[in-house]
Amino acid sequence: MDDRIAALARRVQDDPFFLASALKGYARSEGLDERGLAAALSCPIETLVKLALCRRPRPAPPVFREDVDRIATRFGVRADALAEIVRHADALAGMRRGDADERGLLMAARDRDEPTAADATDRQTTDEPR
Amino acid sequence: MAIVPGVPPPANEGRAIWERLCADDPTATLDLAAGYLDSLSDWLIRRNPRLHPHDCVTAAEDAILAVAKNPSTYQPELQTLSAYLRISASGDLKNILHSERRHAVRRVDLEAVELSPKLGKYLWDQEADPATVLERDDEESLALAMARALPKGVQEGLNAVDARVLELMGSGERKTAAYAHVLGLDDRPLEVQRREVKRVKDRLKKRLERARDGDG
Repeated sequence: MDDRIAALARRVQDDPFFLASALKGYARSEGLDERGLAAALSCPIETLVKLALCRRPRPAPPVFREDVDRIATRFGVRADALAEIVRHADALAGMRRGDADERGLLMAARDRDEPTAADATDRQTTDEPR
Repeated sequence: MAIVPGVPPPANEGRAIWERLCADDPTATLDLAAGYLDSLSDWLIRRNPRLHPHDCVTAAEDAILAVAKNPSTYQPELQTLSAYLRISASGDLKNILHSERRHAVRRVDLEAVELSPKLGKYLWDQEADPATVLERDDEESLALAMARALPKGVQEGLNAVDARVLELMGSGERKTAAYAHVLGLDDRPLEVQRREVKRVKDRLKKRLERARDGDG
């Protein structure tokens, strides 16, 4: 793989459409470098770029396994390890979304519960005798 | 698939990659990128020697990612995948340059002296000005918009000759002879060729404009 392909693989690391995002999420959570990630998949480091530019397996169970097997067969990686990596990354992404939703709810609740300085000013103005 | 660096895959291989994309083969996105990124980037760099190569590579990436994610935007009946990607990447390059132009305009407030109209002539190569580059190829932008925005019903109404003319417009071809050849006018006088070529190109442009109006 040439430099441009490697650069493109880096570019799509945060794009959930591509497998690169799952590989990155898993490696980060497990504290793995490229060598460690390649070892987890039982493949050469050079294969990681090719994997990164594959579409991320579709999440629905019947097609998930089909996609994983297709990728694993093509590049000679361990299908069970690849499936685990993607599921792990999916779970991490789900937790991040959950955290964000929770933070959003808390902030919304705080907005309702805690009056702002402007509210206080408004109240003072309203309370003043006419 | 045998990948030859700098050379796009043959049309039939391009079509096969596209069919795999449509069939949700998860490895097809890699083959699309591996097959076209180099040749598309090199083509844009050759065609835009005054622009920064990085912008050209980014535009090539954008075009490839767009097809990877939405393969149905490409209509194989109209042109080869390589031709479509060239048109798409040219449009993406324009978008990048427009964006850079906007950034440059914003910088005017902060760097008024450097970019002021009075001093600008000492600092800018007018031909290299992205704005100039952007304006110089209106036909290509029309063809790009046609390829991307024309409703399917209108696209289906195009005959093979129209599609080939659009492809030439999209590839930046300007020679009347190239269009005359497609239109079967090789043996006609030059004046007739020019008139007929203009008529066909105008008709296609109008068709695009009508389609845009209909969409909007």
